[in-house]
Amino acid sequence: MSVIETLSPARSRSPGWRPSLPGRHALLPYAVPAAILMLWEIAGATGLVADTVMPRPSTIFATAVRMTLSGELFTHLGVSAARALAGLVIGGGIGFALGVANGVSRISETLTDTTLQMIRNIPHLALIPLVILWFGIGEGAKLFLVALGVFFPIYLNTLHGIRNVDSQLIEMGRAYGMTSRELFRRVVLPGALPSIFVGLRYGLGIMWLTLIVAETLSASSGLGYMAMQAREFMILDVVVLSILLYAALGKLADTLTRALDRRALKWSPAYAGR
Amino acid sequence: MQAVNLLPRDIEVPPMLRGNQGASVRLSGVSRSFDANRVLAGLDLHVRPGEFLSIVGKSGCGKSTLLRLIAGLDKPTTGTVTVDGKPATQAGDRLRIMFQEPRLLPWASVADNVAIGLRNGPDPDAVAEALELVQLPDKASFWPAQLSGGQRQRVALARALVSHPGLLVLDEPLGALDALTRLTMQNLIRDMHAKAGFTAILVTHDVAEAVALSDRVIVLGQGGILSQTEILRVGPVTRGSAELAAIEGEILDAIFAA
Ligand SMILES: Nc1ncnc2c1ncn2[C@@H]1O[C@H](COP(=O)(O)OP(=O)(O)OP(=O)(O)O)[C@@H](O)[C@H]1O
Ligand SMILES: [Mg+2]
Repeated sequence: MSVIETLSPARSRSPGWRPSLPGRHALLPYAVPAAILMLWEIAGATGLVADTVMPRPSTIFATAVRMTLSGELFTHLGVSAARALAGLVIGGGIGFALGVANGVSRISETLTDTTLQMIRNIPHLALIPLVILWFGIGEGAKLFLVALGVFFPIYLNTLHGIRNVDSQLIEMGRAYGMTSRELFRRVVLPGALPSIFVGLRYGLGIMWLTLIVAETLSASSGLGYMAMQAREFMILDVVVLSILLYAALGKLADTLTRALDRRALKWSPAYAGR
Repeated sequence: MQAVNLLPRDIEVPPMLRGNQGASVRLSGVSRSFDANRVLAGLDLHVRPGEFLSIVGKSGCGKSTLLRLIAGLDKPTTGTVTVDGKPATQAGDRLRIMFQEPRLLPWASVADNVAIGLRNGPDPDAVAEALELVQLPDKASFWPAQLSGGQRQRVALARALVSHPGLLVLDEPLGALDALTRLTMQNLIRDMHAKAGFTAILVTHDVAEAVALSDRVIVLGQGGILSQTEILRVGPVTRGSAELAAIEGEILDAIFAA
């Protein structure tokens, strides 16, 4: 669960050796999902797959509309999103701060890095029983787990990014009279940014994963709770709907970071002209 | 020290005349050791204001080490390095350095990169003037990634010159460029030096380049200065002339004699 290693920043999108597709192809990536949906609907409508095993897309869509109109869906969605965001801000904030501190200060690194590397080897979801004992089944437990899960990818990638800033640029900055503060703001931080974004993307993935597990185990609101509740009453379409919603939220988060990434790294040759 | 005159000795020499804003550099008894490895030993050197000095020598003889000491990026184990009588580390923007690589910030525009050379905040006019000087006036808003290698090195030159330094220190700044671009850049540096009158100290592995640009070439080796050659001239350099070729040969001999 905690196999989060640092990656080199997203440079793989350069056109490279692959021939580009001719003509317009904006809709092409959605052709396969559309075909699957259609086959699924047909399989359900012809009775090939029973509705009690897998409800049809049209049923799920109707349920989504109904729950949206009743406001139920947004309540659960809002609760889940708030938990995710709070965990991200806390865990990501601490991870970023510690990553910067340990990247910049040798004392700080010597003091904390070994400890953190040891803790990293504990799968954070293995802590669930302990966390429930500590925090009960309230918000605290979920916040703690999400924050812990998000912490490591952001910490590791921030540290990695800062450590790997081009030392020649730092020497240049010094030679041109930059103060330590200026050096950090103008050279170190922008240089570490691509790696920090990689950490953020990983962190977002872990954030949703942790939240799903935590909400499924113990909650009285949120998407995971909605799914568990529906399972108890055998309302299959709601179960599938909540799964799809998790997928959509994950995709949304990824799209947002990609856009952010692209904005912040517009100087990079990997993004030139895109 | 040997002096090779391309002109009769009694003709007034331009480098002395234009040296009014160049910095003077003095090294006395400078040694630098890395653990047991003594790279420089008791080196003395005086660079006159406005002089163009080149340092050549075998790879690993300590050229970069010497240059880093002059630029204040490193401190001598013993001895002193002064620029205009003050320690090199306090020279501020009187001293500028150009590296073998352009070392531009990839996330800053060309103009912002040049502005790094200004200590008192951005000054668009000064930046534009510096870019004009290196013949890149229309690239101000480009990213470094959008420039060719030679153009990037010209931006680095603009960054070094934008503060009108008294001393420009160059460590093989043209080493990574193709032969043609190198010639263009040599002419640019030579012009710049003639116009602005700063003192220049150039490390290069290209003896022809050293001879084409400098007022004096020193050969570094065995921790000290093996030989010095003054090149006195007026007017434009005639590349490939017999005199220059002869000087080149002597300097190469001095390097290999070590
Ligand atoms: N930071 C350092 N730590 C230890 N030894 C060093 C360091 N910098 C340089 N040296 C040593 O000092 C010697 C001279 O190095 P220097 O880089 O000055 O050579 P150079 O004349 O510039 O060579 P080149 O022409 O290849 O650039 C070498 O033997 C090198 O190993
Ligand atoms: Mg060198």
